Amino acid sequence: MANFNLRKAEPKDVPDILRLTKELAKNEEMEDQVILTEKDLLEDGFGDHPFYHCVVADVAAEHQKVEGYSVIGFAMYYFTYDTWIGKLLYLENFYVMREYRGFGIGSEILKTLSDTAVKNRCSSMHFIVAESNKASIDFYKRRGAFDLSLQEGWRLFRIDKENLQKMSAEE
Amino acid sequence: MANFILRKAEPRDVSDILRLIKELAKFEEMEDQVILTEKDLLEDGFGDHPFYHCIVAEVPKQHQSADGHVIVGFAMYYFTYDPWIGKLLYLEDFYVMKEYRGSGIGSEILKKLSETAVRTRCSSMHFIVVEWNKTAIDFYKRRGASDLSLEEGWRLFKIDKQNLLKMTSEERTG
Repeated sequence: MANFNLRKAEPKDVPDILRLTKELAKNEEMEDQVILTEKDLLEDGFGDHPFYHCVVADVAAEHQKVEGYSVIGFAMYYFTYDTWIGKLLYLENFYVMREYRGFGIGSEILKTLSDTAVKNRCSSMHFIVAESNKASIDFYKRRGAFDLSLQEGWRLFRIDKENLQKMSAEE
Repeated sequence: MANFILRKAEPRDVSDILRLIKELAKFEEMEDQVILTEKDLLEDGFGDHPFYHCIVAEVPKQHQSADGHVIVGFAMYYFTYDPWIGKLLYLEDFYVMKEYRGSGIGSEILKKLSETAVRTRCSSMHFIVVEWNKTAIDFYKRRGASDLSLEEGWRLFKIDKQNLLKMTSEERTG
């Protein structure tokens, strides 16, 4: 089964994007942490100022293995900025439904993203991976990725909304 | 010395922004890795589509630095997106010149960023810190920051331009 098509996501893809986001979260046992709605995804991705971009993989009707779904994979990305080297492409989410793996869809998506990065004069592509996800780490390492956390000691931090509100209210 | 103002950066601030970026890089022993130019900063921050936003800390002329600068601190940020919770404010760079520390400039900058994040309906602020930078880690932890790398095992990866080009030129298989 080699017949698939990669294209830029459109507003009509939003329900599929949410479905695949939840499927990926379920894999990481975090499904109930997805609080984003279709309305959010629509406003945030397809309004005047998109906060993310999306590429989707779809298959023709005759190759649909799972009832009713033609969008079977996606990648969500946006542009970030490194003060030393400038624009970067940041890969936020990347998922292909289990039944469709092994056909080169993931590789093709990454190739499309690489194209986009180069065309937009990005110096690199960045992304985070959970250290327990050996399969993903290997997938990326085979394509030349290296672990900045391991090699340079970078740690990702978060200040959540509660603490942001606390700071903004301080005298 | 408590007199300072915080304001949105303007195109004219670009040379000061680059100066402070290089100072911060020098502190991290990476000064020669800053290949960005004033022209890049201008195009990328003040064009049709800004790739970053910046606030600067300015002191009155009578408090200018030893080499005559009035822009003594800055923070660079942009908006990112978490597909579970939506918009985030990402703090990319944050620096106050050594001689101006201890006056609350850093706290004020972080406060302003927090206000921006809340106003633009961001769920959180994210940033990376290098693990040996204990001072910075403590500064952020005092303000409620949590280490997601430690707590959830996230590692930052990079695929550099050379490898991106390699992938773009590969033939499609399968």
